[in-house]
Amino acid sequence: MSLPDPDNAVLEALLARCARQEARALEELYTQVSPLLLAVLLRILRTRELAEDALQDVFVRVWRQAGQYEAQRGRALAWLVSIARYRAIDMQRAEKQWLPLDSVEEPSTPASRPESTLTQRSLERCLQLLSGDQRRCLVLAYQQGLTQDSIAEAIGYPLGTVKSWVRRALQSLRRCLES
Amino acid sequence: MNYQQADLLEQLAGAYVLGTLRGPARARFARLCAQSELARAAVRRWEDRFMPLLFTMKVVMPSDRVWAQISQRIHSQGATAQPRAAPWRWALAGALALSLLVGISIRVLNPPLQTVATLGQDVAHPLWKVSRAADSGALKLRAMQEVQSNPQLAYELWALPSNGKPPVSLGLLPRTGSVERTLTAAQRAALLSANRVAVSLEPAGGSPTGNPTGPVLYVADIASAG
Repeated sequence: MSLPDPDNAVLEALLARCARQEARALEELYTQVSPLLLAVLLRILRTRELAEDALQDVFVRVWRQAGQYEAQRGRALAWLVSIARYRAIDMQRAEKQWLPLDSVEEPSTPASRPESTLTQRSLERCLQLLSGDQRRCLVLAYQQGLTQDSIAEAIGYPLGTVKSWVRRALQSLRRCLES
Repeated sequence: MNYQQADLLEQLAGAYVLGTLRGPARARFARLCAQSELARAAVRRWEDRFMPLLFTMKVVMPSDRVWAQISQRIHSQGATAQPRAAPWRWALAGALALSLLVGISIRVLNPPLQTVATLGQDVAHPLWKVSRAADSGALKLRAMQEVQSNPQLAYELWALPSNGKPPVSLGLLPRTGSVERTLTAAQRAALLSANRVAVSLEPAGGSPTGNPTGPVLYVADIASAG
């Protein structure tokens, strides 16, 4: 099953109801986005137990912060995903969960799908302009929450090289996406 | 802001969102975001840019216990966040009796307000002063300067027990002026058994879990009672 693209307007309406503390709306939001958020958390945290604990924290936080979503209209899913990713990164640090290297998955870059949005297509186009190594570093960091040290170990290059790839990849990506 | 600074901000925001910015640098950037709309806007841009990378993921169904526990947590949350009851609270009841005795002896020997800790980047730039009223044991939290902050975030004060027990929240810190807070028995006991306090960055209203969830921004030793 790949990701159903939840409709932004639907998510925003649910967040507005969460802000009014309607528990039913949080439950609907959970039904809509928890499978995606769990996938995101699981990639970074590796164990289902830890990922599900993080998922709980994420929804309790959404419940308390839904009222502050207002300022960022149009990006409900990005807001939810970010809450989940930052929580996972913080938990990873607290747990000192350093991964066995054989568990590092091959990163996946988005394949063009007919329903791809404009943003997706621009990211795909700009990622293709990076070198293979730069792209791999970005995707390993973003999808699996790997630190630069872990990336260096995983792909067998010195840390300094990885750092400079990441820095240059961010620069090129920004230039490409802003043009 | 000149071009180079704007460029640096974009790099930091990109690394923050990507997750490659870690440790103290990550906490510093989170602190900057709490104060700067420019930094927050850069973070939002990067969040939007990278999000399509998640569209290749296979979704995973959570087990039933997750929703059951979320539901329980949101329904048990009253208007004020209660510190989570834990078995070790009872073990500390004895410590409370001791804190009352100490409180009494301090009242006799010391001026009414005792400094507990000063928190901030360094001694030259203190942000908050935490003191304790010797007679009532109430905690006085004073912002030494106006603390700029994102309204979506809050600064929460924690007692860090020296015996490795979990941190205990001492409540949110004010952004301006000072507040005085009467501590619960558990908070007084925790503070008594602590040798350090810490400030973490939390969502508005404070940590949703009862433990620090955001980056820990400052840690300070508790001044000895003297």
